[in-house]
Amino acid sequence: MSSENAAGSGGGGGGGGPCGACKFLRRKCVAGCIFAPYFDSEQGAAHFAAVHKVFGASNVSKLLHHIPSQKRLDAVVTICYEAQSRLRDPIYGCVAHIFALQQQVANLQQELSYLQAHLAALELPTPPPLQPLQLLVPASQSLLDLPPIPAAYDFSAMCGDMVAPPSFWSLYPRQQIEQRQFSNAAVGGGGGGDLQELARELLNRHAPPTVVRCGNQASSLPPNSR
Amino acid sequence: MNSSRCAACKHLRRRCPSDCIFAPYFPSNNPRRFAYVHKIFGASNVGKILQDLPVSYRGEAANTLCYEAYCRIKDPVYGCAGIVDQLNEQLKVAEYQLATIKAAITTTLQPSYLLDQSLPM
Repeated sequence: MSSENAAGSGGGGGGGGPCGACKFLRRKCVAGCIFAPYFDSEQGAAHFAAVHKVFGASNVSKLLHHIPSQKRLDAVVTICYEAQSRLRDPIYGCVAHIFALQQQVANLQQELSYLQAHLAALELPTPPPLQPLQLLVPASQSLLDLPPIPAAYDFSAMCGDMVAPPSFWSLYPRQQIEQRQFSNAAVGGGGGGDLQELARELLNRHAPPTVVRCGNQASSLPPNSR
Repeated sequence: MNSSRCAACKHLRRRCPSDCIFAPYFPSNNPRRFAYVHKIFGASNVGKILQDLPVSYRGEAANTLCYEAYCRIKDPVYGCAGIVDQLNEQLKVAEYQLATIKAAITTTLQPSYLLDQSLPM
């Protein structure tokens, strides 16, 4: 999966054979194929199979066409993640992770509140409280009539023996992505720093910047099966 | 026009059969719910997912598909994965704060403990 083998910058017409998507779809990989930069002809076909099964090639193609080219890599990675989650868990998909994480955050928030009260009782200055928990449910929930994040879900049943929820990017580490045939043009030369910056922007949208963070730790991979 | 069609069949402009796979989960009074899943997943894929599940699980599956579709429409690049990442960050921050507070408590209690130990019996 070297970059030289890239169907990369221009699709299969560059002499590298069809991309993983076109290989899976058994069609001619044209120059400018929207999938070519992100699905190589080897592992890419397997990843695309999952994406096609859940989302459909046509829907993903439309989605990618509406996304700026420099963000398509991130979109493909997240779409692959959601597709594989849905195949692994047809009922909850990646929403199971969201439920589990929200519960964990709520539990920690509760423990923090208790300990802060304990510290206050010891008449000591307490660290600034964690920002109020913001359950990340869609804002216009009433419009969609979506179910609220239920409190009664049996998270242990949903998540099995998942002790620490995986960091999403640990599933698709930057090095692994760069080893694939992603064209620099598609990435926009952003590199890993752009992705981290994007993640921080998303976080800051929901919570003000924090003073210190724990160092990045290798998170456990999700269980292969439930 | 059959007014008892579900939202899916209305959207797809087709007759709604009595055993429509979508009808129980996409009522006609909420057309956007189906519109979102159709836009992201496609009616066919949603139907297959639901069909492959026991009936008792289909409602929850439909709900989570709707949630995922909505998240993807709202954030086409990151979708639900963006929320997972944000929550992971929140978790790290909470864990750090918890560790800080526990350390503060431990540090506070320790001198008192040592002081008690040094008192003559």
